[in-house]
Amino acid sequence: MNPFRLLAISAAVSTLAAGLARATPPDPAAAARGQKAFSRYCVSCHGTEGDGRGPTADWIEPKPRVLTSGVFKFRSTPSGTLPTDADLLRTITNGLHTTYMPRWAATSEMERRDLVQYVKSLSTKFKEEEQGKPITIPAAPEMTPQLAQQGKAVWDKMQCAACHGDGGQGNGQSAATLRDDWGYPAPPHDFTRGSLKVGDAPEDLYRAFMTGLSGSPMPSFADSIKPDEAWALVAYVRSLRRGD
Amino acid sequence: MRSAARLALAVAVATAASRADAFPAFARKYGMSCSACHVAWPIFNQVGQNFRDNGYQFGLGKDDPITLTPGYIPIALRTTPAYTYTRTTNQFSQQGPTTIQQGGVPLPPGVDILTGGVIAKDLSFLLVVSGFGPDGGASVESGWVRFDNLAGSGWLNVKIGKFELDEPASAHRGVSLLYGYAGYGAHPQGSRVAFDMGENQVGVEIDGHDARSYTRYSLSFTSVNGHEGLSGNAWSAPMVYGHVQQAFDLNNPVVPWIRVGALAGAGWVPTAFKQDADGNDIPGTGSDHKMFSRAGAEVSWFFGYPSTPAFFTVAYIYGNDSGGLIPVDPGGGTIDPYTGAELGGQANSFNSGFVEVDWVPWSEPRYDATPWLFFGRYDTVKFKKGTGDTTGGTIGVRKYLALGPRAAAAIHLEAHYDKVKGVGASADPTVVKDVETTSVLAGVDFDF
Repeated sequence: MNPFRLLAISAAVSTLAAGLARATPPDPAAAARGQKAFSRYCVSCHGTEGDGRGPTADWIEPKPRVLTSGVFKFRSTPSGTLPTDADLLRTITNGLHTTYMPRWAATSEMERRDLVQYVKSLSTKFKEEEQGKPITIPAAPEMTPQLAQQGKAVWDKMQCAACHGDGGQGNGQSAATLRDDWGYPAPPHDFTRGSLKVGDAPEDLYRAFMTGLSGSPMPSFADSIKPDEAWALVAYVRSLRRGD
Repeated sequence: MRSAARLALAVAVATAASRADAFPAFARKYGMSCSACHVAWPIFNQVGQNFRDNGYQFGLGKDDPITLTPGYIPIALRTTPAYTYTRTTNQFSQQGPTTIQQGGVPLPPGVDILTGGVIAKDLSFLLVVSGFGPDGGASVESGWVRFDNLAGSGWLNVKIGKFELDEPASAHRGVSLLYGYAGYGAHPQGSRVAFDMGENQVGVEIDGHDARSYTRYSLSFTSVNGHEGLSGNAWSAPMVYGHVQQAFDLNNPVVPWIRVGALAGAGWVPTAFKQDADGNDIPGTGSDHKMFSRAGAEVSWFFGYPSTPAFFTVAYIYGNDSGGLIPVDPGGGTIDPYTGAELGGQANSFNSGFVEVDWVPWSEPRYDATPWLFFGRYDTVKFKKGTGDTTGGTIGVRKYLALGPRAAAAIHLEAHYDKVKGVGASADPTVVKDVETTSVLAGVDFDF
């Protein structure tokens, strides 16, 4: 065998083994309980199998997450990695603004934690891969007009207007063509109307810029911009807001 | 007469449309199964309670009608065609005490028409019209507008209209289709008060809650039901009622959730009227108001995993009607048959309570799962003096035929028995008779 190929296979096996060793698979007992909660609260959208094909999925936008894919938009972890349990719990607890994913905070904490384990059990990725480590979010600077002006330069550099439009209204030239990983339309966010799906704090924007939204056309900027540039972009995007 | 009234009530309850406040239009609006908000329709779980407390809003930008397809219609219908049998002992007749039996399937079965939801952000409403039974009549059972999240906080909401008081267990979302909670409508022998805590009241409610509806309060200013428009003052038969609840997440799978609550209320009912030419009281002339009061406490808890729980509620209610509300009955209606004492003009009180369990076993992991619901309830009312002590129980089972995101239906079987002491007709005035009521209901509960 080609020694380079052998080396590559060996490296791949080592990587897989390391991933398996560090993977945090779902707790079986909690996942079994979580299935009951999932059946009560989640199946009408996410489907019995978690494949995003519940009876309600046909008529709601955006479409419910395909939980079997192990691909999650809203994470604190770098692009391409699995979310943490805390990420999943946050989404379940707080819901997603302007979607049909409601806030489940009123359910018991035990149910929500069990749901996290059940959601993890729906994708083999959680058995095979290590969950990502949360990115570090530096302390937010004051959101001044000057910072927003600097952010405009970052906005232009990253060509945000191509999708989000010049005014951030989600009407960029490519907006109509954008699709998510499952082929569904993925309209860019309208920044003039306020809150992101995942939250309204500056940190929520920063996190989205630096982790990307996996499964959607929104990439991570972590390799392209520095933290101070990301904060400037946060300031600019927040300055676009015109009201809810 | 009292037992005859009870019989009439039983028949009316079984004949008219069941209870209101089960609203599949919300499931259609959000695409969620009924089970997301109900332990089993119609009983709320914590999510349903929170949704209601928030003014029928999830608060994520999908509540306002402007965000919905124009085809969405916020209307729901509920009807329960059912066979009902009722047997009541010791009823008065010219031929002496007799047992009355009635059974059959009233047609049409009666319908609740409900519309409600959000008019605009933080402005919600509900209108329930019930009736359309064999007599063809219908009435507004509930109708209110609520200003939600005043000052940007869930702690302050104001509801105006005809609404259900915040109770230890909702009389309008109870699973039993035969009888309400005995303690809610209890009154001492001879009392002229019509108040029933389970009936909707007209007035204003100020209420609030934390983000999860674990801490809740309500304070209502209403007219006592049955006495609306009678008083000769600016607010007829005024009543103030308050209820607080606190729930706790215990974070264990055996008893994962518990909620405690307390209530208190007082109402003032006119006792003197001007009469018309026929000697009838003239509405709007009532004066000399006398007070009645209620106080109580409850505890509810889940036994077993919260998604498939046995839901227990134990409630205690104390009631007191002042002596002025119990006028001497020249016909002997206020004579204590056990002691021969005259009860008229004297305050009387009662202790009451109920224990209820509703259990939904785990069924299947499907959006259209059709679980079973088993339920049982024990009611008791004990008066300090006179007749009317009540003990009774209800057991039943519902097998859901549909409980998905569009509509719901359930086969409903229920049996009830109670005994009311000292109110039966008796051929011998020295012998006090009780009234025993046995009822059975078998039907299908439709909710669309």
